[in-house]
Amino acid sequence: MNFFGLMFLTLIEVAAVGLNLQPTAESLGGDWDEKKLTWTILWAIGIPKFIMIAAIFMHLYGDKDSKILTLTALFPAFFIIIMVLFVGLTHPDAVTGLPAWCRPGTYNI
Amino acid sequence: MGVAIFLYFLAEAWSYGTYHPGYIPAILLGLAIVGFSIFIWWRQDISFDGSYEPLATGAPFRKVQIRKVAMWVFLMSEMMVFTSLFSTYMRYRQGIKNCETLFLEGEWIDGTVVTCFEPASHLIASSFWHIAPGAINTFALIISSFTIVQALRYAKMPNLDEEVRRKKVYRYLGSTWCLAVLFLTLKMIEWFIGFYVPEIDLGFIHIHEHDIVSLVNEGYTINADHYQHHNYVIDDHTLHAYELAGHDISNLEHYSNGAHMTANIRVSASLFYVTTGTHGAHVAGGIIGLSYMTYKAWKGLYTPQNAVSIEYFGLYWHFVDLVWVLVFPFFYLY
Repeated sequence: MNFFGLMFLTLIEVAAVGLNLQPTAESLGGDWDEKKLTWTILWAIGIPKFIMIAAIFMHLYGDKDSKILTLTALFPAFFIIIMVLFVGLTHPDAVTGLPAWCRPGTYNI
Repeated sequence: MGVAIFLYFLAEAWSYGTYHPGYIPAILLGLAIVGFSIFIWWRQDISFDGSYEPLATGAPFRKVQIRKVAMWVFLMSEMMVFTSLFSTYMRYRQGIKNCETLFLEGEWIDGTVVTCFEPASHLIASSFWHIAPGAINTFALIISSFTIVQALRYAKMPNLDEEVRRKKVYRYLGSTWCLAVLFLTLKMIEWFIGFYVPEIDLGFIHIHEHDIVSLVNEGYTINADHYQHHNYVIDDHTLHAYELAGHDISNLEHYSNGAHMTANIRVSASLFYVTTGTHGAHVAGGIIGLSYMTYKAWKGLYTPQNAVSIEYFGLYWHFVDLVWVLVFPFFYLY
């Protein structure tokens, strides 16, 4: 069941990229465009796929040691959040700009 | 430790394009440590009959198999590796202007190199045939996750005839091996070789004969500092295509016909190859493990008592699948 669910979600994922979603995005109104809609669908599909693999295939749900192993698996999430936060918050324009020292050209020794 | 020594001195031996033979003994030492570790591990695994599976005694893993905990700790470190790659990708993708945006804004001069971020998806997601290897690989990995679950299921099944068990387990593990090899083969085709699409006419569908060019042959390489995509040229066909897609092309009107934007895309290409290559290296590692496990299954050495080894490998293999769930949309689709 989990396997077929994953296959189905992957089909939707590939279709979301292959199909022309521009008319759908326009019909949604607001500031929706095709790229934003595709990106939203990819995230909406990716998260349940991730959970289905981790919970069912990797036994993080339903086994007697699932709880402690889930906590173990989630432990790096703390660091992941910090890392992502550093991407966004370490510098006022961290997301939109890059310091000169890590721009292409300056590292080219 | 052996892998670290091997990789470090391998990099030193060929650093900055110069060969330093003095590091060869250290490289061999790294390889010897790896080989010796694998030998010790093999001796323990081949004789493991499941009669003694050590359990953790201390908190918080009390009564959980030590090998299982070790595998999860290993996977945690793997998550950190891939998180570093993903955060680097996000940082650079946001921090460097997209090549297509730059082209449409007209902020470039014909004959002068501009630096921009060219996502591999611009090439890969440009048509059904370009994306086909990546899409097939996605399904291959999901199916391989299923086959390893089935191998474990039959290996653990009590009251099953030994010959039936042997056949089921080695066939499912062998299938997993084949799917992993398919994955790497398609990746090589996508990166280096490309493929030919023949003319297909089924009445309701007609496909023209054409070649799908590999990423490397498209010029998408880690040292591409004079990259020219066929969409970044000023001509009637390209401009019409951009107009049809709803883009504003008014900024391009002052360019002469044939003007071509030349880009330095080394950062984006490096990120693509390093991240998908690291994932591919994990698949390659899995193939080595699967080769041994398939051989062991073929010899009929898996029993319900020692089948837990398949479960531990399965954790690693599912993790490889899990990472691909993120790599595929990030690097191939978007």
